[in-house]
Amino acid sequence: MAVYRKSRRHRFVLVLLALTSITVLTLDYRGAGDGALESVRRSARDAFAPVQSAADRVVSPVAGFFNTITHYGDLKSENAKLRRQLDEARADAIRGADADRERQGLLELQGLDYAGGLASVPARVVSNAPTNFQLTVTIDRGSDAKLAVGMPVVTNAGLVGRITSVSKLRSTVLLITDPSSNVGVRLATSGEQGVAKGAGGRQPLPLDLIDTTVPVPEGEPVVTSGLEKGLFPAQIPVGRVRSAKSAPGALQQDIEIDPSVDLVSLEFVRVLLWTPSP
Amino acid sequence: MREDPRLRMPVMLLAALLLQTSVLARMRIFGVMPDFMLLLAVAGGITAGPIRGATLGFASGMLIDLFLPTPLGLSALVFTFVGYGVGVANTGVLRSAWYIPVLTAAAACIAGEILYALIGSVLGEPMLTAHLVTIALVVGVTNGVLAPVAVKLVSWSLGSLKSGAPLAS
Repeated sequence: MAVYRKSRRHRFVLVLLALTSITVLTLDYRGAGDGALESVRRSARDAFAPVQSAADRVVSPVAGFFNTITHYGDLKSENAKLRRQLDEARADAIRGADADRERQGLLELQGLDYAGGLASVPARVVSNAPTNFQLTVTIDRGSDAKLAVGMPVVTNAGLVGRITSVSKLRSTVLLITDPSSNVGVRLATSGEQGVAKGAGGRQPLPLDLIDTTVPVPEGEPVVTSGLEKGLFPAQIPVGRVRSAKSAPGALQQDIEIDPSVDLVSLEFVRVLLWTPSP
Repeated sequence: MREDPRLRMPVMLLAALLLQTSVLARMRIFGVMPDFMLLLAVAGGITAGPIRGATLGFASGMLIDLFLPTPLGLSALVFTFVGYGVGVANTGVLRSAWYIPVLTAAAACIAGEILYALIGSVLGEPMLTAHLVTIALVVGVTNGVLAPVAVKLVSWSLGSLKSGAPLAS
């Protein structure tokens, strides 16, 4: 008898807690960004921000050490790769300077906006989101620095992602490698347009909608297309084509892009003060 | 003056949150970090049975949900079930060999990550990817390693309740 009553009490607590979770879940899901729960969440993040910053200052050297141990081999090969790329970049810069002047002129003629001319706010990445499922990072600027949901985040190397939530002191950035991310892109030389999706983890980005007849050389640069109502302004570098295959009978090519930004070890980013037109 | 034992639980939860967001979020293996907040639910179930496991899971889940991009309450729901399940299956395993809580935690955390991905994908979050296998395995192993620490922490935070009713109900 006693055992029966006890297990009933157990189940009652379980059901109560589960129902509470589901209620909160439903309310938050339906509120979608502007409900009362979202403001609770924003306040919690702001309240926790100073504590977290202090802890980060203590912890980051230790974490740096941990990463050095686990990635020593990577670092060596990366160093060699960077030297090679630096040489290439020096050569590219010379070629690029002339092309850039020419392109600026063309853009002005057509009245297109270009990411290089947009105002931006620098920010530091304070942490990866404490989750294994979403690829997001938290940055140390929020609505106090005029940031808003939807703004693109870049580094000098290219596109990082876009802001998905903002509190006073912090913002969350959805990385372009997250499976829910879609970026409208253009192949730099052929001008063909497609959509680069996230594939999670450290996977390259699959690029959809490129016709099988288009020649796509390996290493071809990919930039944001900035089409009307797009999520990003035009001409932000996204990455380079890693491989392009077309299976017989397929309607589109099987293309993968390596992001130009090292999204695993982000430190400083710039938020472009630009929101997509509704 | 003695510390108020009722403060232990909130202090422990905040310390765990700090550990998760500042320390563990940077220590990633194959891009995956340990899930200490989930581990608290498991440790609650191991040390104090289904009710405490479920309650602790609910609290730690709700807390971490505040800092996640997913809908509020998702972790709370999953952690509640995990804490309850571990409590039902394993009340009293602490008295057995040391490796039993470790293995229990590893298995429960793998199950927890999969349940999280399942419920998440019902809500339209793309979580059922190939990466889930890596996540579940890495979290299982790292959480197993951290399990003794979590068990110590949780039994300290529940220590205040020891004098009254027996812990494992």
